[in-house]
Amino acid sequence: MSERRLRVAALAVAALGLAVAVYLTYIHYAGLQPFCAGGGHGCERVQSSSYAKVGGVPVALLGLAGYLSIAIALLAPGERARLAAAALTVIGFGFSAYLTYLELFVIDAICQWCVASAVLLTVLAVLSVWRLLVAEPDVV
Amino acid sequence: MSSRQEQKAQARAEREQRERQAAQAQRRRRLLAQLGSVLAVAAVIVVALVLVSQGSKDKPNASGGAAVVGAADARAMLDGVTQKGTSLGDPKAPMVLTEFADLQCPFCRDYALNVLPQVVQRYVRTKKLRLELRMRGFIGPDSVVAAQAAYAAAARDRMWNFIDVFYRNQGTENSGYVTPSFLSKIATASGVPAKPILAAKTSTGDARSVQDAEREATAAGLTSTPSFLLGTKGGEGKPLVISSLDAASFTAALDAALAAP
Repeated sequence: MSERRLRVAALAVAALGLAVAVYLTYIHYAGLQPFCAGGGHGCERVQSSSYAKVGGVPVALLGLAGYLSIAIALLAPGERARLAAAALTVIGFGFSAYLTYLELFVIDAICQWCVASAVLLTVLAVLSVWRLLVAEPDVV
Repeated sequence: MSSRQEQKAQARAEREQRERQAAQAQRRRRLLAQLGSVLAVAAVIVVALVLVSQGSKDKPNASGGAAVVGAADARAMLDGVTQKGTSLGDPKAPMVLTEFADLQCPFCRDYALNVLPQVVQRYVRTKKLRLELRMRGFIGPDSVVAAQAAYAAAARDRMWNFIDVFYRNQGTENSGYVTPSFLSKIATASGVPAKPILAAKTSTGDARSVQDAEREATAAGLTSTPSFLLGTKGGEGKPLVISSLDAASFTAALDAALAAP
């Protein structure tokens, strides 16, 4: 696949991720008060668990900032932007893998929105690293 | 074409090929270096994020050999207030506030530490309200063990001390911290003998109390903790809608509900 196509595909995936992150951030702030949810409400339980914040910052907001940075890095031209996009998506992939581990083995509840985001970040990481490998380097 | 010219062209072609190969090799090296630095930076940042995430979770708690804290605070809040089974306050109080909680829930802890002292001071000590507790166990297996232990403390009229000291020493949810050693320490600090608290894990009566609490919560449509039902003495409770778990919002909601006909 050409560098251009990889970039367009990555942008489309990042847009989807951004939509998920906006929704989760909205839920975190607007709707639901911090309560522990029972009865199979996976998302509420994950979002209200003590792991829903990292150093006081809600994970949903962290995701929103991450997807925004990825989108900006994908839109910007040049080799540095390609490198930044690859680094950001690999960070996102690694952190989502950790969060998915927490959902499965610690919190014991699955939030389908978080899983969707983890899948999108995996695809983004593959596309961005691939793009880095096929792109022509900048003329120095 | 003379053979000399051919030789020249061939030499040029070979040189160009060597240059192309050298450029390709350089490009490959550069790509690998870039990829390596991207992965290294990403790994460092992911590890940092994980450490920050874990760091805020590793609460010191009494299962790890740390001392139990907060027994005196619990006594200060509860001393002089009638405790009978799961209830706190004057049995003749006109209104009853029933709380549904899970001892592993961090927000139940926030309520117990930040809001409950004011509720006890303003409504329970003034005999306006009697509090009831229903312990649920949905966060994980430790929740059930803890809830059954709380019901064993209720049988000794010390449930409220027990849950208050528990919350003050609450560990990370589902980390397996609700060990017999942890429960013994909480029991002793709450003024309850450790033996019945430890026996609660296999007590069918205490298990039934937790199941009853679950059933009552489901029947009332309560899907999260902490949740509250407010009603008249002997009457059926209605969900108390609260917007936030801070003392000011909670007492405002309670005042409004108590003032309503």
